[in-house]
Amino acid sequence: MNDMRLTERVVTETAKMTARGVQVHYGTNHALKDVDVDILDKTVTAFIGPSGCGKSTFLRCLNRMNDTVASARVTGRIEMDGQDIYDPRVDPVQLRAKVGMVFQKPNPFPKSIYDNVAYGPKIHGLSRNKAELDEIVETSLKKAALWNEVKDRLTAPGTGLSGGQQQRLCIARAVATSPEVLLMDEPCSALDPIATAQVEELIDELRAQFSVVIVTHSMQQAARVSQRTAFFHLGHLVEYGETGHIFTNPSDPRTEAYITGRIG
Amino acid sequence: MTAPAMAAPAKATSLIEPDARTRRRNASERRFRLLGLSAVGVGLLALVILLTSVLGNGLSAFRQTWITIPVTLDAAVLDKQGNRNPDEMKKVTTLGYGKLVQQALLDALVEKGISTGDLTPKEVMALLSKEAPADLRDAVLADPSLVGQTIAFPAFATSRIDGYFKGRVTRESAERDANISPAQLDLADRMAEAGLIETRFNMGFLTRPDASELRPEAAGLGVAILGSAYMMIVVLVLSLPIGVAASIYLEELAPKNRWTDLIEINIANLAAVPSIVYGILALALFINILGLPQSAPLVGGLVLTLMTLPTIIIATRASLKAVPPSIRDAALGVGASKMQAIFHHVLPLAMPGILTGTILGLARALGESAPLLLIGMVAFVRDFPGAPPQGFLDPAAALPVQVYSWTQRADPAFVERASGAIIVLLAFLMAMNALAIILRRRFERRW
Amino acid sequence: MSLGLLLLLLIALAALGYVAGRQRALAAVRGDARDLHSLPAYYGQAVALAAAVPGLLVMVVWLITQPLLVERTTLSLILTEDIGPGSSRELVMADIRRIAEGMGVLVATGAANEGEIAALATQPDALKDRLAAVNVALAAPISAPVAQAALVYRQSMETGQGAMAAAVLAVAVAGFLLALWRVTPAFRARNVVERVVQVLLIAASSLAILTTAGIIFSLLLESWHFFQLYPARDFFLSLTWSPKFGGGSDLGLWPLLWGTLYVSVIALLVAVPIGLMAAIYLSEYASPGLRAIAKPAIEVLAGIPSIVYGLFALMTVGPFLRDWFAQPMGLGDSSSSVMTAGVVMGIMLIPYVSSLSDDIINAVPQALRDGSYAIGATQSETIRQVVFPAALPGIVGAILMAASRAIGETMIVVLGAGAAAKLDLNPFEAMTTVTVKIVSQLTGDTEFASPETLVAFALGLTLFVFTLGLNVLALYIVRKYREQYE
Repeated sequence: MNDMRLTERVVTETAKMTARGVQVHYGTNHALKDVDVDILDKTVTAFIGPSGCGKSTFLRCLNRMNDTVASARVTGRIEMDGQDIYDPRVDPVQLRAKVGMVFQKPNPFPKSIYDNVAYGPKIHGLSRNKAELDEIVETSLKKAALWNEVKDRLTAPGTGLSGGQQQRLCIARAVATSPEVLLMDEPCSALDPIATAQVEELIDELRAQFSVVIVTHSMQQAARVSQRTAFFHLGHLVEYGETGHIFTNPSDPRTEAYITGRIG
Repeated sequence: MTAPAMAAPAKATSLIEPDARTRRRNASERRFRLLGLSAVGVGLLALVILLTSVLGNGLSAFRQTWITIPVTLDAAVLDKQGNRNPDEMKKVTTLGYGKLVQQALLDALVEKGISTGDLTPKEVMALLSKEAPADLRDAVLADPSLVGQTIAFPAFATSRIDGYFKGRVTRESAERDANISPAQLDLADRMAEAGLIETRFNMGFLTRPDASELRPEAAGLGVAILGSAYMMIVVLVLSLPIGVAASIYLEELAPKNRWTDLIEINIANLAAVPSIVYGILALALFINILGLPQSAPLVGGLVLTLMTLPTIIIATRASLKAVPPSIRDAALGVGASKMQAIFHHVLPLAMPGILTGTILGLARALGESAPLLLIGMVAFVRDFPGAPPQGFLDPAAALPVQVYSWTQRADPAFVERASGAIIVLLAFLMAMNALAIILRRRFERRW
Repeated sequence: MSLGLLLLLLIALAALGYVAGRQRALAAVRGDARDLHSLPAYYGQAVALAAAVPGLLVMVVWLITQPLLVERTTLSLILTEDIGPGSSRELVMADIRRIAEGMGVLVATGAANEGEIAALATQPDALKDRLAAVNVALAAPISAPVAQAALVYRQSMETGQGAMAAAVLAVAVAGFLLALWRVTPAFRARNVVERVVQVLLIAASSLAILTTAGIIFSLLLESWHFFQLYPARDFFLSLTWSPKFGGGSDLGLWPLLWGTLYVSVIALLVAVPIGLMAAIYLSEYASPGLRAIAKPAIEVLAGIPSIVYGLFALMTVGPFLRDWFAQPMGLGDSSSSVMTAGVVMGIMLIPYVSSLSDDIINAVPQALRDGSYAIGATQSETIRQVVFPAALPGIVGAILMAASRAIGETMIVVLGAGAAAKLDLNPFEAMTTVTVKIVSQLTGDTEFASPETLVAFALGLTLFVFTLGLNVLALYIVRKYREQYE
């Protein structure tokens, strides 16, 4: 692999999560082959690649969401702040409080907007009283750029919002537990262009507080929002580096073929 | 590795050391999981207890205690004319045979050297079922050539003696029992030692008709099994074609309008109407207004048909729905009419599912008792219904109803028989379900 | 002519029609089926249907109306004075039917000819003896008008049977000939056959409506009779239930309704937590191996007939609860009790609750679970705070359906709850339910037209209204719920 050179460059910055030799099998299907990646702190990292290339699979390894799939088997080593997150002593529940996730399709709970956001803080016990909880909900909604639209109807059901608002509600819900890493699995694929623009702007703002990993189908989106980009193909991590570098001067012919639209 | 370069965030806690709150949450997770597991356990335990209770109480009903004695069928008593003509021999009642059997029993005891102690001949005779003389009479009338011979006649022991050998009756209970005394049990013990009494498999439990209150040992399921079989025939013949026809219309042809909506709502509700209400319908409509006879398998079959139809319709529609539309399109595409597409292509493909659903519906109907109580199937019926079609109108019993009527009788021996009848019923149900599973496995097709 | 023979004739005529129709169609085109509008078989089917269907219809209508008409004319021969005390028109009619049947037996066995029968009808005592000789025993002596009425009944039935056979055959032959005459190459046989088949299909599916109508009609009719004899106010408001043979019964609904609801509540208290938790465990936690065994095993409970549960209550659960709970706690010594029936019914309902809940829980989208897990919720938090609230409407529907089943259940309460109608709080006391009383009032020996018997129909109506209400509500809730996730 040619990413030795990249890894060397990364050392100068803070790596929030490091993955080494990660393999994923779904039953007999070898979905992810020997992936090494460093997720940098306070950076937006984009995973791109054609469908079925393993980018979402890898994303779901980072907060152990693959645990909920019975047939999935993950090997290799993923560390967060130097701790192996697949250590048997690690409680995935605690891990996921630190590594939040936003999904492709907005999935607000059938509860009020307030309860949607307050759900995480409540179960993790992040607030001592109602006032603190109110504050967490408000700041989270503000961080998700949704506060002004919903502040008058916090008790309305979250499912009644528009698609873009629902997705931002889900982002607020994920942000509310103060994660250190936020994973986003094609967060804009179910949204219209205006909502997409709002979410993209939001991602850029969120970078100030934590690292964001975003899986996207759209190379333009990757170019717009991310500082670093990883290109996956057929379960391999083909190339990983600075976004500008990947898009202007890819070192692997497969990356070039993909970004010029010949495969994918 | 990049670990040295990492600055630990201020609020970070170790991933490996769970904090107190996480420990609490995980404990509650374990409790919840345990609760779920115990719910499953309770469900399974209930099933096991239910089945063992029924099996434990009922298996003994298939075995019966017999007293086998040599009986000399004296022609002078049984056939005075000597013509061996059954019509003439019918004049000798069971009383006559009773005397014969009593004498034979006493003689057999003397011959084996068994002392009867202080027991009077009547008390000795009380070891035998009151059904015994009637059985002997039936045997002789069926084969008049037996007269004059000495035959080994196996007579039922009374239910108390039977219960004694099965452990249901003890000397203590016999002390308080007007129908049996410890002395009689002693005699029974001596007879068993001499080989006169034995307990073995009783086919009669499946073939004999019901018997009266005082003769539980002679009671069998014959009429009930035949009655249930007749009813199942009626249900099958009526509900399969009607159910399939209704499903075809609703699933394949019906336009979406008020009438079909009404039908749909009706079917959904009929599936949930309590079975006893169907019994009321049958009583008011079939018996009181249409004047059909009580206790008749035809009426039972009709009411069970009405009950089973919603089940069959729901199952049939599901299997019609499972046939992919491409099959219909293909048939219509080569110019078949809608009916041809349905009857030539869709229906044959859906048939395994329909049959499975029908068998399961029949199984449900077979176990149903409440509506049958109301149409008089609980009546005491000793005569086998005739051959079809007249037999459909003759009075009969039904398996589940027979269970109920046996539980209503005083003699505890009937409880054993009720459990035995349940085993028969469950065996039929299991066979039907197994057939349905085999059909499904063998013919099921996934698209 | 017997019914069986008539049916056979109809079938034969239809078969003949099939062959004839097919032949005639083929003959018309000299054997070249391509010149026919439809396949030759359709011509055959058209003629067969034309022969069989109208005949069958006439037969069915005749069979239903004839007894009604004949009974009416027969009963009009019986004056009100002729009906003895303690008897009723229904009982007299039953006697008449029985005597007429006996006359039939006399003729069939050759013991008497029609003339002798007519003569016998004027000598009731002789008639009774002759009937007894052919095993048609009658409890009371036959009165002269009844004997006459029986003769009339028998004669009208015989005439009716003959007329029916003639009418059915005439219609069938007419249909046969008409259809055969219409068979030409241009005759659109397939369309005709398919239209007839469609009408038959519609008729079959409309049977559901007829059944409901029949249920409502019979319940309303006999309940109306009941309320003619017994004041509705007392039925709905009285707190005592004590039917007496000689009349003057108290037939208050409340003790029965109380018992029904009490048993149902206990049943639901057993079934809902166990069923729901089992469904949750099996759908969210259990390994595939455990699920493959436990799920069908629990569903076996649903396939066991209720009489089996009844016997289980009677033999096992009742004595157990009495010996281990009721007697030590000094709460009574009855083995049939509300508790016995309730617990056993609860066991019966576990699979209903669990399989319905299972469907409903599985209908909750995985995305919601993922959303909750991604925030760091544990599985039980996800189930309790996300899945369960999302599934709640559906689960409520499932519980309502289980409740309706509990209220309508008969055999368990007949064998497990007891027969004493009382308003009591002690769950170890024997109480009774609406369904138990329907069975006991309709299987007893009281005469049909008495309030003590007819009350069963009013009880049935109450039961029907209750369960129908619950079902409609449950279906509505479940349907709304399903739409939410479709």
